[in-house]
Amino acid sequence: MNLKTYLNLYELVKIHKGTQEENRAFGLEYAKIKSEPVKQLEVWTKKHTPTLRKPLLSDTFSTYLYGMTLTLVIIAFLLGFFSGVGLLSYSGHEPVNVIYFMAMVVLFPLVTMTLTLFSMLRANASQSLLVHISPAFWMEKILRFLPKNVQSSLQELKINPLLSNWLIIKRSQLLALMFSFGLLIALLGMVITKDIAFAWSTTLQVSPKEFHGLLHTLAFAWRDVFPWAVPSVDLIEQSQYFRLGEKLDTQMIQNASKLGEWWKFLAFATLFYAILLRFGMWFLSIFGFKKALKRSFLSLEGVSTLLREMNEPIITTSATAEKKNVVPQGSHYRLEVEDLDSSYDRTLGWAMSDEELRVLNDSMQVIAPMAFDVGGTNSLEEDNEIISKCKGEVLFYVKSWEPPTMDFVDFLEELMRVVDKVILAPVGTVEDTYLPKSKELEMWGRKLQKINSNKVWLKK
Amino acid sequence: MTNQHPKFAVVGHPNKGKSSIVSTLAFDDAVQISDTPGSTIKKQNFPLKVDGKVLYELFDTPGFQRARRVLAWLEKHDVSADKKHKVVQTFINEHKEDERFQDEIELLEPIMSGAGIIYVVDGSKPYGEEYEAEMEILRWTGQPSMALINLIDDTNYVDEWKRALGHYFKMVRVFNPMEANFTQHLNLLESMAQLNEEWTGPVKASITLFKQYYEQMLEQSTRTITHLIYHSLSHVERQSLDHEEATADEKETIQSNYKEALRRYEQESQKKIEKIWNHDHLQKVQESLLFEGMDLFSKESASIFGLTRKELLITGATGGAVTGAGIDLLLGGSTLLLGSAIGALVGGSGAFFGFNELSDVKVLGQNLGKKYLEMGPMKNLNFPYILLNRALYHASEVASRSHALRSVAKFEMGQSFTERWMDESIRKTLEKFHSKFRSGDEVKTEDLKEYENIIKSILKRLIDS
Repeated sequence: MNLKTYLNLYELVKIHKGTQEENRAFGLEYAKIKSEPVKQLEVWTKKHTPTLRKPLLSDTFSTYLYGMTLTLVIIAFLLGFFSGVGLLSYSGHEPVNVIYFMAMVVLFPLVTMTLTLFSMLRANASQSLLVHISPAFWMEKILRFLPKNVQSSLQELKINPLLSNWLIIKRSQLLALMFSFGLLIALLGMVITKDIAFAWSTTLQVSPKEFHGLLHTLAFAWRDVFPWAVPSVDLIEQSQYFRLGEKLDTQMIQNASKLGEWWKFLAFATLFYAILLRFGMWFLSIFGFKKALKRSFLSLEGVSTLLREMNEPIITTSATAEKKNVVPQGSHYRLEVEDLDSSYDRTLGWAMSDEELRVLNDSMQVIAPMAFDVGGTNSLEEDNEIISKCKGEVLFYVKSWEPPTMDFVDFLEELMRVVDKVILAPVGTVEDTYLPKSKELEMWGRKLQKINSNKVWLKK
Repeated sequence: MTNQHPKFAVVGHPNKGKSSIVSTLAFDDAVQISDTPGSTIKKQNFPLKVDGKVLYELFDTPGFQRARRVLAWLEKHDVSADKKHKVVQTFINEHKEDERFQDEIELLEPIMSGAGIIYVVDGSKPYGEEYEAEMEILRWTGQPSMALINLIDDTNYVDEWKRALGHYFKMVRVFNPMEANFTQHLNLLESMAQLNEEWTGPVKASITLFKQYYEQMLEQSTRTITHLIYHSLSHVERQSLDHEEATADEKETIQSNYKEALRRYEQESQKKIEKIWNHDHLQKVQESLLFEGMDLFSKESASIFGLTRKELLITGATGGAVTGAGIDLLLGGSTLLLGSAIGALVGGSGAFFGFNELSDVKVLGQNLGKKYLEMGPMKNLNFPYILLNRALYHASEVASRSHALRSVAKFEMGQSFTERWMDESIRKTLEKFHSKFRSGDEVKTEDLKEYENIIKSILKRLIDS
């Protein structure tokens, strides 16, 4: 898991997400790593990276980042080295005040590391002030010196703020480390090449004993193992330097060889505060960056869908082929009667009992010499026999709610051969007082329209 | 044998809701449902597939058209009960090219290839003797069968249907595809599993899978809602400026773009949720509906879906107090908890007076010295509740909607909807997350997951109720 993989995944989920089937096939192929989403994403990214357009955004970004970091690392080292040289420059007229150097190797690292710790805690804030004051943040500004095409591809890149904050924090630690190396090299170089008389001087009322107490505390990490690297009270007393005193204190001149002993303390302070602790911070930032990278992997837009597609079974319940339906045409049948006559030659009832038929005739106030129930449980032969008994005008009751089946249509067609006129009367349920619904009448109308016979009339 | 998975053919008289039942059982709103009899002219299969493997298959079939003629043909063959199914097969073979029996052949074919029979009748209409020929034909096939009484209208003839169907089917169930919830759906599957001992395993596995499928849909919906709220609250609209100060037109443009972006988020989220629940073909009337027609930023919308001014005051005060408490904590309590008190006061009054405000429009400097206008993230405390209320209402309605319904969806949410899911403790919990979403900071995945879980429990409750 690294930044390059993250950037490749960033591009892939934007451009090539794969179909649900492809992603599920991948999930099944790598079922062993189902419980490790980051690993799944890594393997998936590796598999699909060849589909990305070259040059890869990850390569462009890494090259830019590497180049920028290297430049800044060199600058930081040189800055540290020359700062060290400047702080330790000794003309022979005045001793070198250790307090300046201590401030640079103890106070400055402690303050910046505290700020770093705060920025680590606030790393998930998209606009963390502490991150913005970091020198690494200004690496972005160098972007404008890059070729236009690189600029545009990088400007489109929207890295997770958490990740970019950690990236800056990590790079800052590296730069600070290089700066500290520069200081240490400068100290060692100056000590080797020059005989430096170290002294300490302050406007504050600090006695050598108190100063020794402070140094003793600062040297807590090495004082037991390397006691010679902690200045003694004597040395501190001998190396105290007053600007208004003699040009050079006679006592200091007498102990000139001892004054150089300070370098051990300064070297250890640099090693511990500016380098060792900074190393710790650097490792912490690497750890934080890795964690942020892992989180960013999972929070990348589209990744949760991708993981879901990989890990959840594809359940489909839909039809295999689209169904083609018959679209109903027309609704108003041209041959309609408003009222029934008082008598007909025959009355028929489709799938109705004799009793129902009788009740219907009574309720419609219709008289007919013969009434037959047809369809339903009748055999086809029975129906044919009834047809043969029909003639003249026939009132034909049907259940309005039951759709006209082809069985009914066959019967009607046979009936039309022997009679002059058929009045088809759809009747509703008893609850509806035999009144059909308009929707049902439309249904019957459509069917009769299809039959298209001048003999069949629909009772509205 | 290649086709060992259970198959079920949904058969019956024309226009009795066979397609509606299939549509519901298959979670598919693409099934063509029509009130015109004979609209299904070809059988259609709906396999339940898991990673390509078929667990069971449903067949939507045309209705019987010439049942008496088919039965007459069958009855001409005087055979013992163990040979009756062969007669049916002979009928199919001999009449394959006969146009008169195409519907019967379409519906009998899957049955004769091993499908269980689900005979559908309309229990809202009286029983009729014309059904007996159909049931008799089905008996001839010798396949395991059950009857489903579908209630298309409000009238109820279930008892007389039960009495009649009891003569032909071992199992009779009432199932209303328009109103059936997920549990009823699973109960029906349980019944189908009992038709044949060999089918019990696969159908039970399908039930487990359906539960998983349902859970997946629920999780995807809550994830979609969570992202909607998060993206809407944290959205920042930017617009480049060529000069120092923004003109009124430019301010208006950014405001309208900002609102448009949030509306787009909501529309996309709704579409996604409809897709998750297989309601891709959902028809919504945009103008005449309260829900869709109501502008996300209108005052009516705010008062119906969101918090009242009083609730806002409390919400703002809580948020302010949390910030203030942070100051107290930082200063080791030396402020005598004044931070919390002041925070609550400022937060509360800010929320009260900022009722209609969404976000400030700021002019900011950019890296390369350019100026730009910026609007967002959302600062209106009411907004997340308006959005969440709408999202929850929409999701719960879509999730509960039958796939058999083809009517236009009417999302009419009354004020009482909020009371169905929101109480003081939920509001407080949600506010904690809303302020994080509003902060513009990167929100931890765990936080989003936690929010998702809250939404999931609310949505589940709403769907179940």
